[in-house]
Amino acid sequence: MNTIIKVKNISKSYSKGLLALDKVSLKVNQGKVLVIMGPSGSGKSTLIRTFNGLETFDTGEIDILGIKINSNYNERRIQKIRKRVGMVFQQFNLFPHLSILDNITLAPLNVQKRSRVDAEEFGMYLLQKMGISMHAEKYPSQLSGGEQQRVAIARALALKPELLLFDEPTSALDPERINEVLDVMRKLAQEGMTMVVVTHEINFAKDVSDQILFMDSGKVIETSTPDIFFSNAKHERSRKFLNQLDK
Amino acid sequence: MIYKMHQKKVKKYIEKIKEILFLNSLNNFLIILLIFTICIFSLQSFSSVIFNSKWSVVTTNIPLFAFGTFPSDQSWRPIIWIVSLLLTSVLSIIPPKWKWLRKNLLFAWMGMIPLGIFLLYGGLGLQTVMSRNFGGLTLTIFLTVCSSMFALPLGIGLAFCRQSSLFVVKKLSSIYIDTMRAIPLIAVLFFGQLLIPLFLPLGLEIDRVWRAIFAFTLFVSAYIAEDIRGGLQAIPNTQIESAKSLGLNQLQIIKFILIPQSLRIALPALTNQVIGLFQNTSLMSILGLVEFLGIGRSILANPKFIGQYIEVYIWLASVYWIICTILALMAKYLEKRLKIA
Repeated sequence: MNTIIKVKNISKSYSKGLLALDKVSLKVNQGKVLVIMGPSGSGKSTLIRTFNGLETFDTGEIDILGIKINSNYNERRIQKIRKRVGMVFQQFNLFPHLSILDNITLAPLNVQKRSRVDAEEFGMYLLQKMGISMHAEKYPSQLSGGEQQRVAIARALALKPELLLFDEPTSALDPERINEVLDVMRKLAQEGMTMVVVTHEINFAKDVSDQILFMDSGKVIETSTPDIFFSNAKHERSRKFLNQLDK
Repeated sequence: MIYKMHQKKVKKYIEKIKEILFLNSLNNFLIILLIFTICIFSLQSFSSVIFNSKWSVVTTNIPLFAFGTFPSDQSWRPIIWIVSLLLTSVLSIIPPKWKWLRKNLLFAWMGMIPLGIFLLYGGLGLQTVMSRNFGGLTLTIFLTVCSSMFALPLGIGLAFCRQSSLFVVKKLSSIYIDTMRAIPLIAVLFFGQLLIPLFLPLGLEIDRVWRAIFAFTLFVSAYIAEDIRGGLQAIPNTQIESAKSLGLNQLQIIKFILIPQSLRIALPALTNQVIGLFQNTSLMSILGLVEFLGIGRSILANPKFIGQYIEVYIWLASVYWIICTILALMAKYLEKRLKIA
């Protein structure tokens, strides 16, 4: 089985000596879903953002799809990774001045240099898959949060990525709208997409994930399968966190 | 019992209605009184304008106001240019259904300057016209359009340079912007008209219209740069992050994300600049270009029309007012349309 992500002992500290990441190591195989959980400020977002070079780190090494990056910022390698890795953000971050379809075709047209017909066809296919093809000509501000997030997922998929990163994709949504996004993500996981998801959605983590990574103050506290993690967590800290979530 | 209660209610209503009506009639009376007084005062002060003015000074000189001393048999040329300008701006504001036209509007705008030069200066089969024969509204519009179209890209460039991480580039552009903003426009225009010819090597001569456009461009681009910088700072960093995560490189992010969004945010300020520029071109009448205001002044110097200031200046003011209002309305409409997007 191919290893998609291999992280070896990465650390990152902020100027005040605060450790954002403290010797984090992990491995994700092809077709697997890794869910990262932890209290806010535990470094989960920082970790997931290092995977496509949005965040730098001080020591250690990351190997993504066979491309190695280390503490020296290497624009060309990071660019190579970004072309093969999609990312979905908490605040959707759609481009407000472009129509939905243009949002999706922007990268295929300009990064992959595909033809317009080809890119638009694939874009429409993705929108159909997300169940929002009727909004193709609208603008992001005319859509609800859940619809915007599904557009963002379609935009990330437009480059046919081999790995998808989700940074708290449902945290900015209405409770009623969360499921429409989670359903799409479930579908992707079933299709065998390799995913790393930072989330607080316990049910999603239970159903979909193959592995759960629990972090606190920059350290990996525990890595287990969802069965073990939710019923019988190894660590005191994880149990405390889960109790808090249940309340 | 019930009937009595009804009566009471009805009485109350009638009272209320009376109250409202009475108040209203007092209001109406006051308003009518106010309008009446204003009418009387304005009749008194403007009666000479309304009853004694001789508008022949305007009507007989319409071609002069419009084209200056452009050869009268060639006046179709500026007309074509101005009409095509109007057409392009209407097309940009009310987007046509055809996608290819929408996509090529930028090129249409860029083509306006060469078209204007060709139509006004002539050559290539058209009778050549010297720039000293340009004048009137044609020259005013030519100055405004050329200066703003050169100043916009220059201003965008300066704004990005000012945000650059390269120290020298950043410092140079901020020095340029701050200096230009610290000099009065008239000084820059004097520099353009009087000093540039001294700097140029012998035999090389730039004509006066282009020296004016050059000076206006230098001046306005500094202001535009600041407007664009404001737009750039209003774009959240997450936009750049999501563009990066899609694999777009630095240039593509500038082209597809930063420039369109900052222009959109800066649009009200940019409209201000264009309207200001349009009115500031009238400064050139002091420096020897007979643009719209200049034509008015030279007509007043004609012994035939001596002393008819009021007519000429009311005419000038109303034309400036109409054109600026049209510009403002267009920008307002455009803003409204871009708000959804």
